[in-house]
Amino acid sequence: MAVVADAGTLYGLLAVGAGLATGLAGIGAGVGEQGIGAAVVGVVAEEPGFLGKGLFLMLLPETLIIFGLAVSLILMFAWTPFSGIVTP
Amino acid sequence: MLRPVKMSRVVVAGSKDVITPVVEKLHELHLLHIVNYNGSEPSFELGKPIGKAKEYSEDLIKLRSVTRYLDLKNKAPDKTYPESQILSEMDNLLNNVGADITATFERITVIDADVKTKRDQIRSLTPLAVLPLPLEAYYGYDSLATFVGTVATPVEADVAKVSSANEVFSGSAKNATFVAVFVPAEKASEVSSVLSEHGFSETSVPRLEGSVDSAIAALESSIKSLEGEKAPLQKKLVDAKKQYEDLMLATDEYLSMQTAKTEAPLRFAETANAFVIDGYVPSDQFSRLKSELESAAGGKLEVQMISDKEADELVEKGEDIPTKMDNPSLVKPYELITRLFAIPEYKEFDPSLLIFVFFPIMFGMILGDVGYGVMSLLVLIMLKKKFRTPGWQQLINIVMIASVWSIIFGFFFGEIFGPLGLWGRIMGHLPEHEIELAKEAGLYFGEGVFGTLGRIGPLGIFPLDRLATNAVLLLIGTSIFIGVIHCSVGSILGIKTELYYGEKKHAYFERLPVMLFQIFFSVALLGLVMGQSVLTYLGIIVVVVSIVMMVIGPEGPMGLAHVPSYVSNLISYLRLLAIGLASVGLAYAANQLAFYVIMPMLSGGATNSEEFTIPAIIVGIMILVVVHFINFLLGILSPFMHPLRLHYVEMFTKFYSAHGGGVEYSPFGHVRRFLKA
Repeated sequence: MAVVADAGTLYGLLAVGAGLATGLAGIGAGVGEQGIGAAVVGVVAEEPGFLGKGLFLMLLPETLIIFGLAVSLILMFAWTPFSGIVTP
Repeated sequence: MLRPVKMSRVVVAGSKDVITPVVEKLHELHLLHIVNYNGSEPSFELGKPIGKAKEYSEDLIKLRSVTRYLDLKNKAPDKTYPESQILSEMDNLLNNVGADITATFERITVIDADVKTKRDQIRSLTPLAVLPLPLEAYYGYDSLATFVGTVATPVEADVAKVSSANEVFSGSAKNATFVAVFVPAEKASEVSSVLSEHGFSETSVPRLEGSVDSAIAALESSIKSLEGEKAPLQKKLVDAKKQYEDLMLATDEYLSMQTAKTEAPLRFAETANAFVIDGYVPSDQFSRLKSELESAAGGKLEVQMISDKEADELVEKGEDIPTKMDNPSLVKPYELITRLFAIPEYKEFDPSLLIFVFFPIMFGMILGDVGYGVMSLLVLIMLKKKFRTPGWQQLINIVMIASVWSIIFGFFFGEIFGPLGLWGRIMGHLPEHEIELAKEAGLYFGEGVFGTLGRIGPLGIFPLDRLATNAVLLLIGTSIFIGVIHCSVGSILGIKTELYYGEKKHAYFERLPVMLFQIFFSVALLGLVMGQSVLTYLGIIVVVVSIVMMVIGPEGPMGLAHVPSYVSNLISYLRLLAIGLASVGLAYAANQLAFYVIMPMLSGGATNSEEFTIPAIIVGIMILVVVHFINFLLGILSPFMHPLRLHYVEMFTKFYSAHGGGVEYSPFGHVRRFLKA
């Protein structure tokens, strides 16, 4: 089989993938939190007692970015198929 | 500790003769959480205020308006006053001082309004200077209509067409043409429509006399004199605030107390000759309440504890048993975090103790730096003296305990202001060849040492360099492991709560499977990582069993919809590692930049730290200070917010929100702040 790419390129592509995973997930989480955050500020202005519950709701989409991060960590540290040819 | 204080439902019934001493005593005891009488029993009426309720509340309103003028805020007391002093000074404070302050404040308001009108007049007068008319020429006509304002195009010809008798003055200012048109009153409407065709917009002319310039000068000088009058008045208010602040707050406290006492019977049930008070009291305080009240009433009163069964019936009718959280003083600050979410119901668990256990560890694991920990501890000790209100004190205590943990983790991670920084310079490094050996064996966890102790722990993993690959993998495992424990504790509380409410099906088929799923899901993962297929199979089998249990459970197949969220709950704990890595990364970059780039570069390529020149060291230290300061600010905020989220979203949902928020125990009475007991 022909060599498609050398080890350095593959490692670079892994890093780009990892970056995209975290970055795009971050944008997603941000978009999600934007609407909730605005609504929570509105509610808290009327009823300060809702701060805790509002915070709870606002922090829900934060998990998204952790998913992206988990994918990045797997790519960077635990991705084995190329381990024979890829050395950082 | 995990349960709120046990409460007893009591009924106090007595003769109306003794209502005043009884209310006085109740207020002093600060024990009884009164359940307001709602007027539902036909034979009992709502109580009426006793004593001078009206006078007290009137005085309070008077005082509050004065404190508003002085812009007094609630604050920690600087000194306290005996009640007798308040009584003797109250009259003077409310009537003389208060009236003076009110008059001063009102005068300032009048001056402000006056200045504003005069400014507006100046603004509308200024453009009129281009017209050659004195101000009295603009008003006071019976048979003439006056139009003053700006126009876009010349109007003389068109005005002459509709009204042959006319007088038009015009002049151009910066970017508009000003006109003053005088026509007979009967032509007013026609002229008005002609003018509007020319884009006329009217200006109101103030009713003043003399030339425009002299009028403006007069207005300006009167503004000046008004402002001259205002300055000493404002100073007077500031002085009054300084002089009377504490006394006013103390009087406010006294009057609020008196109002609460005199209006308390509004919450009681009354007949013609007797009164009944319903309420809750901590069970261990019941005998004290009974004996104190009975001695205060001289026998004309009966205090009874209602049996648990009857109390349960009242709860079913919608009465809320108040929750009094019961925690040792070290845990007390963490009640703030519980309260921010919701007050637990009387039958639910109070998770403050668990927050006390987990929150600081999570904070410490994320921040994990001796330098940052010591710095935040010092900053907090300073803030603690400055912010003395209870809310701030609690918050500061929370972060202080957490900072201690971050110092402890700082020793595990070998970080003082980041890796590669001070730690290495104080404790030293592993020799090169040992680093090589460790790397070859795949056991490289960092190059720091604990001084002469070297590296310690199994396989010599401490001090752990969080940026090393092995350490990241290890911390991923640790984070998930903490997550499993954290979620399981939450699930156990959930199971116990459901059992306490007598809902066995919810306990065993809704809460228990979640716990089994999360524990054995991670066991299966562990098996995969360690290559132990026994663990993997065991994990998978129990996970399948738990899913089957969920389907059997009260939610039926809909319960399956929650399964992905149980996995994401666990993955969410990766933030313990991730946020830490981000701040370590920044600290590492700062140290690299200063010690390995800037300092050698500015010293002309010196590689040994002894050859660094003084300017290079100064610039390097400046960079270190700035970057570490930014990192420190971020490093306090995110380790606080993220464990908070892990508690609220991942843990509390396992047991908390099942039955809604509780009512906080707020006994009738008052904690004296500005008043001496």
